Amino acid sequence: MLPSRLLGLVMVCVMWAAPSSGAQERAYFVTYDHYLEEPGNLEIAVANTSGFPRGDRPSYNAPWIEIEYGLTGWWTTELYVEGATFSKDGGGFTGWRWEHRFRPLKSEHRINPVLYVEYERINEASRIQKEIIGSGSLSFEPFDELRREQAHELEAKLILSSAVRGWNVSENLIFEKNLSKDEGVELGYAVGVSRPLGTLASGSSCRLCRENFVAGIEAYGGLGSTEERGVRDTRHFLAPVLAWRLTENTTVKFSTGFGLTDTSDPYMVRVGWACEFPIGGRR
Amino acid sequence: MTGRSAHRVLPTLVLATLVLVLLASPTVVWSGQVRERDPGWTVPPQDDSRSNPLAGRPETAGGGGKVFQQRCASCHGGDGRGTSRAPNLGQADVQAQTDGALFWKISSGNAHTGMPAFSFLPEPQRWQLVLHLRTLSAEP
Repeated sequence: MLPSRLLGLVMVCVMWAAPSSGAQERAYFVTYDHYLEEPGNLEIAVANTSGFPRGDRPSYNAPWIEIEYGLTGWWTTELYVEGATFSKDGGGFTGWRWEHRFRPLKSEHRINPVLYVEYERINEASRIQKEIIGSGSLSFEPFDELRREQAHELEAKLILSSAVRGWNVSENLIFEKNLSKDEGVELGYAVGVSRPLGTLASGSSCRLCRENFVAGIEAYGGLGSTEERGVRDTRHFLAPVLAWRLTENTTVKFSTGFGLTDTSDPYMVRVGWACEFPIGGRR
Repeated sequence: MTGRSAHRVLPTLVLATLVLVLLASPTVVWSGQVRERDPGWTVPPQDDSRSNPLAGRPETAGGGGKVFQQRCASCHGGDGRGTSRAPNLGQADVQAQTDGALFWKISSGNAHTGMPAFSFLPEPQRWQLVLHLRTLSAEP
């Protein structure tokens, strides 16, 4: 039921003739860059991760909704609500996340840091894989069993991002602590490069101009934990990304992730759609 | 940490966030206030002296107008005359700035005033924006 509800939300959003807003919708699905939501802008996004594991393990779809708001020029907050369905099994709600991103520097620098803090209340059936951390493959118990295993997690990221000759180059270092278990801090990374396909803007309105597309590639994976040193049995993905600015306030994006290790799913397909609404003032 | 202690953490996190929101409320404007200028938003000399490589190509200003409508109009207004969210770009003190200064401010943004950084736009598009800003007449 969740995907159809998401589709309904998308249709409502598409039909809402919102005024344009200028912020950049990042092409990446996992990697964060240093661009925050504009103050006073609300962004609603829906996305889905489809995973295709090895062997006879069930494939899955994991849709999520993001509601992002620019509180100030240096502070953006975002709420995620997520679900999952396993093929030939079941599906449902898998949890929520609430994140904050803080940009400490006023202006652009060679390297722009952003501090990220997130609280997650998710269960073991979560499959959106907005970050890959720690080690080991995903669990494939029946959905209802996984859903009973709840976790409270606190996550922090150090986001470094640069604009270099038309390219965006971003690096994220991820730290995650499961507050429900007495275990160490799990580590992960995400790196990405991307650039717009066009340079000069044409004078006329167009949907398929090169200037409306951003292409890139991101890599992300786990780095073990403070209790399990090393990268044995960690998951890593390489994922080309493509974003298309469909209208002045909507963006669609697409990515195929290729698993690089035996513990990684061989490939994942992600699609996302986002629209922005300026709803408040700013300072 | 146990699950029980995690349950104690959540209300604390929510409370801490609410406190942060309240502390930030002087800078969070929900409607109707004009943001103040930042006198500390100064352009480095090497950027101030840059000239617009598209200055000899006025035909590219049209593309700048389109980018302006897409990226800037929601705050500065479709005609660039300013709104409650951002100032009038036709004002004399804006127009008196060099092309390099305008390019730097578009690129760099100002997190303190809420002006986003547009360094994600290709450089030629940012110079097109500067060309377009020059078409806005000075404030009467």
